[in-house]
Amino acid sequence: MSNGDNTAGPLLAGRGLVKAYGRTEALRGADVALSAGEILAVTGASGSGKSTLMHCLSGIVRPDAGSVTYAGRQLEGLPEKELSELRRTRFGVVFQFGQLIPELTAVDNVALPLMLAGTDRTESRSTAGEWLERFGVRAQGELRPGEMSGGQAQRAALARALVTGPEVVFADEPTGALDSLASEQVMTALVHTAREAGTAVLLITHDAQVAAYADREVQLRDGVVAPLGVTA
Amino acid sequence: MTTSLGADLRLAWQLTRGSDRREWWRIALTATGAALATGFALTAGALASLRGDHYTVSFAAGLLSEPGTRSGVILALLLLLVPVLGFLGQCTRIGAVHRDRRLAGLRLTGATPGQVRRIAALETGLTCLLGSAAATVVSVPVLAAVWERPTVLTWVVLALVAVAVPVLGATAGALALRRVVASPLGWVRRVGPARPGRGPGRLFLLSLLPVAGAALLAATTTSDTTRGPGQWHTPMAVFGGLLAVGAGSVWLSGATCRVVGRRLAVRARSAATLIAAERLRDDPWAAARAHAAVLLVTVAGTGFMGVRHIMVDGLRRDEQLGESVSYYTTGLNLTAAAIAVGLLITLSALAVGTAESIATRRRGLAAQVAAGVPRAVLNRALLLETALPLAPSLLVAGVGGLTVGAGYSTVTGADVLPWSALLVPVTVYVGCLLAAATALPLLGRTLRPSELRHT
Repeated sequence: MSNGDNTAGPLLAGRGLVKAYGRTEALRGADVALSAGEILAVTGASGSGKSTLMHCLSGIVRPDAGSVTYAGRQLEGLPEKELSELRRTRFGVVFQFGQLIPELTAVDNVALPLMLAGTDRTESRSTAGEWLERFGVRAQGELRPGEMSGGQAQRAALARALVTGPEVVFADEPTGALDSLASEQVMTALVHTAREAGTAVLLITHDAQVAAYADREVQLRDGVVAPLGVTA
Repeated sequence: MTTSLGADLRLAWQLTRGSDRREWWRIALTATGAALATGFALTAGALASLRGDHYTVSFAAGLLSEPGTRSGVILALLLLLVPVLGFLGQCTRIGAVHRDRRLAGLRLTGATPGQVRRIAALETGLTCLLGSAAATVVSVPVLAAVWERPTVLTWVVLALVAVAVPVLGATAGALALRRVVASPLGWVRRVGPARPGRGPGRLFLLSLLPVAGAALLAATTTSDTTRGPGQWHTPMAVFGGLLAVGAGSVWLSGATCRVVGRRLAVRARSAATLIAAERLRDDPWAAARAHAAVLLVTVAGTGFMGVRHIMVDGLRRDEQLGESVSYYTTGLNLTAAAIAVGLLITLSALAVGTAESIATRRRGLAAQVAAGVPRAVLNRALLLETALPLAPSLLVAGVGGLTVGAGYSTVTGADVLPWSALLVPVTVYVGCLLAAATALPLLGRTLRPSELRHT
């Protein structure tokens, strides 16, 4: 693991990102870059701006200042529809919980992004089944999220994030609600699949054990990226 | 921890006062529903306290002066309580997530499950008291202005209704929570028979029972007593019919939601249809709660339109009427107005229920958009959740209502089939879609990324 930005042709880069919610400044000029196929951990204390940084980089929220570039394209000027399409086709998003639709079965949840892209439902379900297989939860394919364990549901969520073959996966505390065994299973599955597919991963976590899975780690302190081991 | 009812009441009052914006919506809407219920019941009660036929009431072309037509008006007012009950049922669901957290907090401080249920029931009772008091305060001067010397019985009935509404509200609240056990650690579970969603359907039917009973009592005590034993037949038929149609509506709504959800979930080709169908399959009774009242209004409306068509046709041809034409048409118009009011209340309940379902799922919905699900897909799914199950249900309700009209036509020998009555289910269907669409702006706000920051 090394410290600092990777500046050799980043796939995704945020420069001077500023974002405030009311009077609270979540980001105060954060810089971060992610190369293709790289796994980058963003760590920091609660309230340091980790999730906001992820939201800005993935186009979920627009920064108040600064810029986000993905594959040479500036995201700021893109309309909401194109940002939505970008997240559906080029990005995958995994949260701590809540990303699976509770009423859909696991296989339908994973098939949903493919259906939204216009793939036939039968074919979508078939592909979804294969992805659930990769994450070891095929047997739970016809269960709904509420009927699965936390670890199984999170692996189904990873399958859903990766099913469209994204170039970047954003994972916001993906193991935050899991025990250590389930965390290990989820992280192993994520890292293995990302490496196999050459997918870059932006991993938001406050857990050092989870961060250890990454190629590189940056730390956020009070809304800015601080060198590791240095107090801002 | 043991507390007196007074202490529980104080705590319930403090919790009500400290409610957040979402809960104030629940309080305001529940109080409005309670005020409507009190208003209808007070009017029915005041009319029921008139004994015999020696009154001259200047309203409505003299319809209220005769015991027979008066009992019909009372019956209509009591029937209007049915959509109001549906509305109140939807209102109590607003902010359920917050309520559950509050209950958990109470458990954490040492309250027993029974005390938690009692405090929650008292909260509902206090809210209903607010609505009941407002309606009573408005009704009393109106009554004093239009009636020179209201009888003692009238005042007694008014007082009883004013007290009964909050008491019934608290009882219904306690019944609705009877299987809910809040854990001190913040989760809420339901105990008892594992058929989620059936309870509210049964509760709706249970609440119909006193309405139907009151309708029976009103019809029998205010009708003309000189007609002998046969006078019981009509009220009994109305009583039985109301219960049968109420039970049928709840069952039909739930069954339709389940069947439509199950069939479409398998065949869905679009993401929006799949989401809507799976939601229906997952909890068909949630939709049934709102849709049952819609079906009742549709059956009543279609049936009435058929009967009205035939009656107006008959009035035009009959040259030997006992009363003026306006006497009859006023009665028909009042009935039409009552049904329209019932429809309006029902559509409001549907809108409230749809908005509540969005508020409950807001974080999950925001996560869907964050993951790239287009907003338009979620908008369509929301409308389809209403549109899909209501289409077959309203078709059946429309045919049922038309059968009533056709039956009346056969009995009276009118030889007219009132096809125009079929416009009612179409109008109700469009109204329901518009009511569901009123929740779309809320869905738009819910899909903002800031919702991801809330738990």
